Amino acid sequence: MKTLSQQFTFDPKLDIAFERFVDAPPRLVWEALTKPEHLKEWYMPKAWGRVARAEMDLRPGGIFSIDIAVGDGREVPNLGCVLEAIPMKRLVWTSMLFPGYRPAVFDDIPITAIMTMEAEGSGTRYVFTALHRDESDLEKNTASGWREGTEIALDQLVAHVMTMK
Amino acid sequence: MIQAAAADDVFHALSNPTRRRVLERLSVGPATVSELAEPFDMQLPSFVQHLSVLEESRLVKSRKHGRVRTYEIAPERFKVVEDWLAARRRLWEARLDRFDQYVKQLKEEGK
Repeated sequence: MKTLSQQFTFDPKLDIAFERFVDAPPRLVWEALTKPEHLKEWYMPKAWGRVARAEMDLRPGGIFSIDIAVGDGREVPNLGCVLEAIPMKRLVWTSMLFPGYRPAVFDDIPITAIMTMEAEGSGTRYVFTALHRDESDLEKNTASGWREGTEIALDQLVAHVMTMK
Repeated sequence: MIQAAAADDVFHALSNPTRRRVLERLSVGPATVSELAEPFDMQLPSFVQHLSVLEESRLVKSRKHGRVRTYEIAPERFKVVEDWLAARRRLWEARLDRFDQYVKQLKEEGK
């Protein structure tokens, strides 16, 4: 069996990984990552906005769609395609594709997101990796506040999973 | 079922004021990404995601010439909305006709 490390190569110049230890079993972390009612509680930094709508079809080719509402009520969509969904282990999606594997159209900064969870003692080691096309994409994603927002959201995720126990 | 899935995409695409304004603009004629983004106070990647949702719903089409992407309306898809509304209207009109008939009948009986 292939291990995760063989599926992609992390390049620190292009990619970024965020890691958290969650004191709850992988089952709860998976729920928090995939169910709209939970995503609404943590996906967007609370001081920045909220999740207006979330839809996830957990199968290869399924839709990944999370609409964010920012301060003044404007909504920003995040649309992509699920590539792999192994419950309680790994969820992979990309904004390079529309749902159903249809080649996407954009002049945007696409990412492939790899979310993995592994049981560790009584808790879960959660890693969120975002792969970028090139250094400039990673730079732009860092400058735009995406990186900072992701850090805040992951802290919110950890806190939210605690309330699910 | 294909029609139902199309309706989901189309109505979702139409549910956002930014995307409706883009469609209003494109109804006048084709436009480039920067022309479309100009009236909106929004980061370009966020705006482009709106265009992606429109493209995914197939209400718009895009073409790339060199480095410039141009968007245009794809009128066929608007029929999904028209058909859905027309079907609701037919149903209600049929109901109103029957109601009309019933009231007339009551009037006749009351004479």
